[in-house]
Amino acid sequence: MFDFSVITQNWPLFWNGLLVTLFYSAISISAGLAIGLVIGLMQLTGSKFLAAVGRVYVEIFRNIPLLVILLWIYYAFPIFAGLSITKFWAGFAGLSLYAAAFYAEILRAGVQSIDPGQTDATTALGMTYSQRMRRVILPQAFRRMIPPLAGQSIIQIKNTTLMSMITVPDILYQASYVSSFTYRPMEVYTFVGIMFLVLLVPLTLVSRRLEKISETVK
Amino acid sequence: MSATSQTQDPLLKIEGLHLSFGARSVLNGIDLNVMQGEVVVLIGASGSGKTSLLRCINLLNAPRSGRITIGTEKIYDSGPDAGAAPGKQAGTNQIPLRDVNRIRSETGMVFQQFNLFPHMTALENVMEGPVTVKGQDAAKVKEEALSLLAQMGLEGHENKYPRQLSGGQQQRVAIARASAMHPKVMLFDEPTSALDPELVGEVMKAMTQLAKSGMTMVIVTHELGFAFEIADRVIFLDEGRIAEDGPANEVLLHPTHDRLKSFVGRFHETANLLRPFLESSG
Repeated sequence: MFDFSVITQNWPLFWNGLLVTLFYSAISISAGLAIGLVIGLMQLTGSKFLAAVGRVYVEIFRNIPLLVILLWIYYAFPIFAGLSITKFWAGFAGLSLYAAAFYAEILRAGVQSIDPGQTDATTALGMTYSQRMRRVILPQAFRRMIPPLAGQSIIQIKNTTLMSMITVPDILYQASYVSSFTYRPMEVYTFVGIMFLVLLVPLTLVSRRLEKISETVK
Repeated sequence: MSATSQTQDPLLKIEGLHLSFGARSVLNGIDLNVMQGEVVVLIGASGSGKTSLLRCINLLNAPRSGRITIGTEKIYDSGPDAGAAPGKQAGTNQIPLRDVNRIRSETGMVFQQFNLFPHMTALENVMEGPVTVKGQDAAKVKEEALSLLAQMGLEGHENKYPRQLSGGQQQRVAIARASAMHPKVMLFDEPTSALDPELVGEVMKAMTQLAKSGMTMVIVTHELGFAFEIADRVIFLDEGRIAEDGPANEVLLHPTHDRLKSFVGRFHETANLLRPFLESSG
């Protein structure tokens, strides 16, 4: 019933698609973390204005579906702004901005979960705000954030498949293409599913290991 | 353990201190002088403001008005307008934050819940203040930190994390951490109330040792027996005011204030039995 020769015959297309998926995963997770760090910290400075800006950002990007964000950036934004945008930038920006909202929430919750007694102790020692964050609060918060950050990153890798809708040639886009001329959707999409399992199951195992580290700051 | 000379300036001087949480007034005009080397114990029912007063000394609580001086430097001064308008939660401090942080580091604080840094070992906890805040040489600080931990009876526990230590051990690490900053005054916020009864003694012993070394201490505690033993002066707070202030002997054994009488009632039942012994040793 299954005839996986369509996979081997079109292997270069799948291989390219896989590389594109990995590439977008890596850059959008990195950029998402960086933007998320800024957005998260904005909500922790105590400035009402910065907190509100951060809050609005999170609510916008967390509540609009990623597919809508990608389509809007690729098709609507150029008309709106009167300039053209490549699929690379549309895909990269959409994925990163979306991920940043979730990373920001993880960061904010992680820092706010630290016992206020820790702040008392650092204050009593005479530490400044930045010493307190750098030496005491963030090191503990990051340990607690490892499991949710890993979980969010796995979701992010899966989310890259939505870029196929704006014709970024990721693994799903290549699969649709192969399927369109071989008429073997069963093998092709099964293979894509298996590829994600091969990619992500080891990552979930690693993240479970990392949870042990986060237990050291209970 | 007793104040050396009455003519010298107080080490800690609190004048007209008011504190509110929202609309609720917690401290209503506290005036208090603590001399160099004096051990002062604050007692009072819960809600009387004793912990709040302690936390005002290093500005963990922001007062509404008043003045606090540590050594020769003011850490808090609400200025001439006093800022005591009701409903105004925190008065503005005329002392810049940079100075506040520096003067804060001259007070050491020990908390009810220890508040050790869980991601650092006992040794790292003690070294953190001098290295990060004062920028001292790590190798030299380490030497002193080891000897402080040894004084607290924690030899062999230097490289353990707080979660690997008992409550009493954690609290002794916390005392060492505060001492490492060479504070002018040490503040203790109910240091034994979170401990199992069998661990209370070791922390009291460490504090008594510290008092004997001449450290100026302000202690909030419910352990009246311990207060009797360690205090040069006992202060009874009631509704945010100092209701009674005097030598431990007087305040605890011969209270005049009605509330204080009932407060120390239970202590008396024991103390009466022990009075001949207590008075001859006190």
